[in-house]
Amino acid sequence: MNPILVYCRRDLIRWFRGRWGFISAMVMPAAWLVFVGLALPIRFTDDYIDFVTPGILAMTTLSASLSGGGLLILDRMLGFFNKFLALPPPRESILFGKILVITIRGLIQSTIILCFAFLLGAQLYSPVQLLMTYLILFIFGSLLSAAATTVAIYVDDHDQYAAVNAMVSMPVFFTSSAMMPYDQMPGWLQPVAHVNPLSFAIDGIRLMQAGTVPLFQIGLLSLLCILVVGLAVHAFRKVKV
Amino acid sequence: MKNTEHNPAEHTIVTCNLTKKYGDLCAVNRMNLTVGNEIFGILGPNGSGKTTTVLMLTTLLEPTEGTAEVCGFDVRKDPRNVRNSISYVPQDMAVDVRLTGRENVMMYAELYGVERPAEKTEEALRILELSDRADDFAKVYSGGMRRRLELAQALVHNPHVLFLDEPTVGLDVAARKKIWEHIRTLRDAGMSIFVTTHYMDEADKYCDRVAIIDRGVIKAVDTPENLKSMISQDVISVSISGEFSGITIPGVRFAFLEDDELVFYADHGDTALPLVKDALNEAGVRVKAMSVRRPSLDDVFLHLVDNAEDTSPFRLGSFRNMLGKRG
Repeated sequence: MNPILVYCRRDLIRWFRGRWGFISAMVMPAAWLVFVGLALPIRFTDDYIDFVTPGILAMTTLSASLSGGGLLILDRMLGFFNKFLALPPPRESILFGKILVITIRGLIQSTIILCFAFLLGAQLYSPVQLLMTYLILFIFGSLLSAAATTVAIYVDDHDQYAAVNAMVSMPVFFTSSAMMPYDQMPGWLQPVAHVNPLSFAIDGIRLMQAGTVPLFQIGLLSLLCILVVGLAVHAFRKVKV
Repeated sequence: MKNTEHNPAEHTIVTCNLTKKYGDLCAVNRMNLTVGNEIFGILGPNGSGKTTTVLMLTTLLEPTEGTAEVCGFDVRKDPRNVRNSISYVPQDMAVDVRLTGRENVMMYAELYGVERPAEKTEEALRILELSDRADDFAKVYSGGMRRRLELAQALVHNPHVLFLDEPTVGLDVAARKKIWEHIRTLRDAGMSIFVTTHYMDEADKYCDRVAIIDRGVIKAVDTPENLKSMISQDVISVSISGEFSGITIPGVRFAFLEDDELVFYADHGDTALPLVKDALNEAGVRVKAMSVRRPSLDDVFLHLVDNAEDTSPFRLGSFRNMLGKRG
């Protein structure tokens, strides 16, 4: 069995058997969708649930990826990382294992959101649209989880990481196009939202909803992803204990 | 088994002026060691450079100067082949508590890429006497069992060299004995065991050869027997009241004074004992108690090592792991 899959399976089993981490990951995204999509008394667009679903999908992938960096920090704190580094497989397989498990977790959560959205009356995606949505979220998740896992090599403290993670993800969410269309935003927010990577993923899914293939967004995210994964592989090969 | 082809006289670890510096601090200073098919203990206080040595030999840390070869492969130029020939068990006791014993070992069998991983897993579990608990979660394992589980993970690919960092720390007496007995069995099967410890008595009892390290410098390397006879045949401790100003007896050397206790090294302790008492009385010192004993590695250690205080940063995480207080 490929070492990447072995590492990935280990974390998936631990996640699943950890029970509360798993339950929370299943409940949280649905709660976001219900509260933001249905309960808020704001309507930036008609069919707001259609509009906000891509935003919640991307936000869930963002928070799944950033909190996924904590997996490696715990591995380091508890001594697993040293054991893995002394094993024969190339060290970047640890990285790819983490990217895979974090992205799979994100995609499972996304599936739950999509199911809820369709139940709540959002317009159904065609199989091609579904596939493209997963593709965008996969690229976006890989990009962020590679970055988070690499930062985790250098951070010594799990609490500090969680604090920074919370501080980063909230503003990133609200300065993206997740909640409202660009033309409804205050003037100062528009330029920020346009360069926010979260918006790339959201806009990509929305374009695809509207029937166009979001080549620009997919291309840009792929490029960023290749760049970040390349840097991450380099960092893992050079890692010091 | 890979190990049957292994020649016991062959040196599996050879270091030449191996050095690691952290800024101005020299953690390991020009270390020259050769290790073969034996239990080789590296003995020193906390912060003396034991773990740094192991990290360099297991390719986790780049040496500042010098070279080290493990199984003929240079740790710097050929780390992949080094990692293929070794197993490393750090002192943290890192087993996945939400995985069963069998799953824990199986994972390593797959990561090492051994053929027939399921079979090798069963074999390793059987050797470490964990077969009947293999389906339990590691969460319910005792400290000793967790350590044995880690040994099983390390054995699953028949390494030539096994690195153990403080393998018995935090374990009770029975569990320690069991771990050492397993380590002996592995040596007899042809493996080289490189073990760090700060328990003198364990090194004395179980190691074939011992290196004493202090502040990154190897002070002595030999069998425990030879190290002990290096200082003398016997050690005499005398508890006194009064001012001690020195005595001269042939075959007896004054070692050091600690609180009110004088320590002498003697070639023949039993016959030297009355002579020491008479000489002390003549010098006007009152003797309260005396004893003769065989030297221990503690004596050798105190003889070789300056009284150093532990200044290494305390790692709470490792300490907690050592005590097994985790999830």
